[in-house]
Amino acid sequence: MDILLQQLVNSLSVASVTILIGIGITLIFGLAGIVNFAHGEFLMVGGMATWFMVGAGMNFFLALVFAGLLVGALGFAAERCLFRFTLNRPMNGFIMSIGLSVILQHAVIRVFNEFQKSIADPVGQVWTIGGVDIIAMRAIVVAITAVIVAITYFGISRSRYGMALRASVSDRDTAELMGIPVRRYVTGVFIYGSLLAGIGGALMISLFPITPFTGSVIIIRGFAVSLIGGLGNVGGAVVGGLVLGLVDGLSAGYGYPEWTDAYSLVVMILILVLRPQGLLGGTLGPKAS
Amino acid sequence: MPATDNSAGKMGAATEGTRASERLALLTADNASVPLPASVQAITAILLAALLIALPWLGLGYRFLSIAITTIYTAIGLYGLALQFGQAGIMSVGHAALMGIGAYTSAILSVQLGWGFWTTLPFAMAMSAIVGGVIGLPTLRVGGQHYIIITFCFCALFVIVLTNGGTFTGSATGLDVGSVTPLPGINFDKLSNNYYLVLAALFLALAATYLIGISRYGRTLRAIRENEQLARSVGINVDLHKLGVLMVSGLFAGLAGVLQLYYLRHISPTLFGAFPSLYLALMVMLGGARYLYGPLIGAIIVNFLPEVLNLDPVDSRIAYGVCLLLVILLLPGGVSAGIKNIYCAIAGGSEGQGGGSNGRA
Repeated sequence: MDILLQQLVNSLSVASVTILIGIGITLIFGLAGIVNFAHGEFLMVGGMATWFMVGAGMNFFLALVFAGLLVGALGFAAERCLFRFTLNRPMNGFIMSIGLSVILQHAVIRVFNEFQKSIADPVGQVWTIGGVDIIAMRAIVVAITAVIVAITYFGISRSRYGMALRASVSDRDTAELMGIPVRRYVTGVFIYGSLLAGIGGALMISLFPITPFTGSVIIIRGFAVSLIGGLGNVGGAVVGGLVLGLVDGLSAGYGYPEWTDAYSLVVMILILVLRPQGLLGGTLGPKAS
Repeated sequence: MPATDNSAGKMGAATEGTRASERLALLTADNASVPLPASVQAITAILLAALLIALPWLGLGYRFLSIAITTIYTAIGLYGLALQFGQAGIMSVGHAALMGIGAYTSAILSVQLGWGFWTTLPFAMAMSAIVGGVIGLPTLRVGGQHYIIITFCFCALFVIVLTNGGTFTGSATGLDVGSVTPLPGINFDKLSNNYYLVLAALFLALAATYLIGISRYGRTLRAIRENEQLARSVGINVDLHKLGVLMVSGLFAGLAGVLQLYYLRHISPTLFGAFPSLYLALMVMLGGARYLYGPLIGAIIVNFLPEVLNLDPVDSRIAYGVCLLLVILLLPGGVSAGIKNIYCAIAGGSEGQGGGSNGRA
């Protein structure tokens, strides 16, 4: 039972990173209509920036904010220079994002190197709760994710900006006629999603070592989470992230470890085939396609 | 995508000598569906065939010929991908896995049963086609972007299965095979003979792509690509056609995979994983999926670019990425679209009413 609880806590912290990248993708894909395959690389760049700043002596939590802002700026540049030209041809945008992910990956290798990087546990404490040892940093990762999820969820579903955003997704022309600057909203969503990827990267490197190739591994999980939950659906991304995180954590603890990745891939394929609209329903992706 | 009449109209306007901005629009127009005159097509085909056949005699060296072989078997796989994406509009980023199915089928038959190249080839191609159809089943239910993710998952799953397959699939180290069974008088251990084997397969792939493109079947596929519901409502069996084109694409992939296997003589799971799959998607977009020579051009650019620019692997990857971004932004139809448009502009400018506008079949 103790092992089960420990596995659950561990899975939850791993799921947190997946949820952050999943929310970023679900917003960018479902609300801005951009399929960004380089989103995993955004996360990796965030992790690398954190590694670099922590190595230069910066506090981890400041480095986390820095990574978020840096990747947000990267997202702004990518949206302005690349994706805004392919808004009505999502397939071209998708292919371009593959190019961008190749560039970012190898630019990081060029600047640093291809070996894995890690930082020391920024908190370095272990809490014992009810006989279960919990690494403090893992609990903090879960807490930060929970706060971000709450802000995003209420921002999308309750605030006037979220309402305007959803209006632009369901009927772009009418939304523009009502005075909503749709273009600016698309840019804004892209920046926000990128910022979350940067924070996700910082949190990830506090849990495990990362390599320049981490992004291309995690991206598929991010897409799976957002599609499982339903595109544009923040709550769905959380459910999707938890499902994948639990399948991973439990199969690593109980099943055959060499098949760990296979379980989540199979779950992904099954949900995509059986419920294309996602477990909780979503926008079914950009209208232009 | 601009319609046929639209791009033909732009071409007509350019013949009267127009402003620079319109010329730019002309260069970036996507006019894959406007055929060039038959004479131009024939001359291009003959020149290209002659060049490819003469290649081993040009004295370009062993390394050049090796890259040429790699380029050509990649291009054969790309023709399958171009068929499903360019004609039917179904993109896949797991195409390397289909090549891997062919290569591994052939290698396993060869290791377990001792069969040679020629006997395993049909089985490998059939296996790739069947798997291509089975993975294609979700396209009947889900949209393009979902299908892309599914193919990517399949590709990752395939690599895991191969890696965990024990001695049957050779695990992470992979499998080895012997050389291609010699035909009377032709020993394929010689690199130039191996080149001609691969080249013959390329000509087959080109011929098949051309014939499908001009056939009723090709027109049906393009109808499905442009408007699936309309195609369904005029009585086209959309599901059957989609699965059919994915299976044909699988045949190409199987052929390419077996050729790759017997050129390298050794295969391992990483050859067919996510990265090679993404590069296949990249090459097909770079070259232009809707053009007969597009996949070949894409494969040539990606395989020869590092050699020509003399770049190390990291820089050459960055260069691919930058090329891809530039091509998508400036030439959404791929490099072939640019070449064709430049040709049309030159031909149209010098002959008055020549060029692409009069060659519509």
